[in-house]
Amino acid sequence: MSKAQRHIWQSPGLLPGLFSVLAMLVLWAVASQLTERPQVLPAPWVVAARIWSLAASGELWFHAGMTLFRVLASFVIAMAVGIALGLWMGRFRTADHWLNPALVIALNIPALVTIVLAYIWIGLNEVAAITAVALNKIPVVTVMLREGSRALRPDLDDMASAFRMGRLERLRHVVLPQLAPYIAGAARAGISLIWKIVLVVEFLGRSNGVGFKIHLLFSSFDVAGVLAWALAFVAVMLLIDLMILRPWEARANRWRRDEA
Amino acid sequence: MRLDLTEKHFSDRKVLGALVLQVERGQRVAVLGPSGIGKSTLLRIIAGLDREFSGRLSGEDRLAVVFQEPTLLPWRRALENITIPTGCDTALARQLMGEVGLAGREGQFPRQMSLGQQRRLALARAFAARPDILLMDEPFASLDAETAARMIDLTAALLDRSGAGLILVTHDAGEPARLGANPVTLSGQPARLQQALPSPGA
Repeated sequence: MSKAQRHIWQSPGLLPGLFSVLAMLVLWAVASQLTERPQVLPAPWVVAARIWSLAASGELWFHAGMTLFRVLASFVIAMAVGIALGLWMGRFRTADHWLNPALVIALNIPALVTIVLAYIWIGLNEVAAITAVALNKIPVVTVMLREGSRALRPDLDDMASAFRMGRLERLRHVVLPQLAPYIAGAARAGISLIWKIVLVVEFLGRSNGVGFKIHLLFSSFDVAGVLAWALAFVAVMLLIDLMILRPWEARANRWRRDEA
Repeated sequence: MRLDLTEKHFSDRKVLGALVLQVERGQRVAVLGPSGIGKSTLLRIIAGLDREFSGRLSGEDRLAVVFQEPTLLPWRRALENITIPTGCDTALARQLMGEVGLAGREGQFPRQMSLGQQRRLALARAFAARPDILLMDEPFASLDAETAARMIDLTAALLDRSGAGLILVTHDAGEPARLGANPVTLSGQPARLQQALPSPGA
């Protein structure tokens, strides 16, 4: 925690960033006061009070927890499969030739179609939900990792072969460190895409989670509720980015910096 | 180590012709020739990095390569750059780092070291593999004269101590003598090996 905080406080963009958020809040507050119907655009403090009561009742933690669980499960699956496929396609031209058409098709299938088909074919359950989200993300990870695998240094490959390094050792010490920037990029882009798809999945076929709550609030046109859930979960995702993804990225890039 | 090469070609260009190269532990051979003649290709075949040739590579000797560039893992510290590729233990790695004059730099990343230091690290790594025959591809080419001289002396000392053989590929006719290596010349189109005459340049 302290490490992540130091990271934030040191950033030169901190002040402009804070002011920019403040300006958005002011704009929102002014707009909410000008509108005739406060239920269409509730004031920031109304939404804040709603978040507070959701947090106090414990409802927020349960549903956000369920959503987070789905996000993490599909994220792990999508990253693992995407890295493996990307590495394979980047290193072997034959695999690339055979799999590329499927990849292009997969990239262009709308998320909604995957979700609906997964629910129909697998059933209205957790497996279908997580599979649908992972399937949406796998092609994107694959494309990014394929780029990374094509850029692997041949001289280090030669070195590893010349010293007869084992397959796992090679992956761990030669290949993955070179792919780290691509993996980090795919992870950062992936987690934000995934949580948006998870909400749709929950909206369409789950009975808990942030997306399910938004579904209920949508039927009663409760804008304050929708905003409260959305903003609360945005905060959770930002926290994950700051506390897990960024520190990991910094650690993976340690060797690039000059030390004494 | 024995290579019976029939021929080696890239697409339709024949690079290397029929040649035989046999080197044993303790023997030192330098393959001389102008750049582009196929010296590096020959070394890659011997090292097992290029298997698309017609001919036969035989022998059970342990080989280790010193590449033209240091070819270190930038994301691993100096000591790990020896232990990870070769699988040798930390004690041997530390001892070798001392022998090449890098004691105290075990925890540094390659980019924190000078090019000369990186090359010495690559040399230490090659010896950590306990090779019977050391393969070197123009290892002194891009160094200034003084650094190159120190590297050559260091290589000779390590070869003496370990008893390893050497196949050195170079375009500098001065290097073989300073390493006590028997010079052979690679020339012609496609290139073949010729025992070098006392006065090379013919």
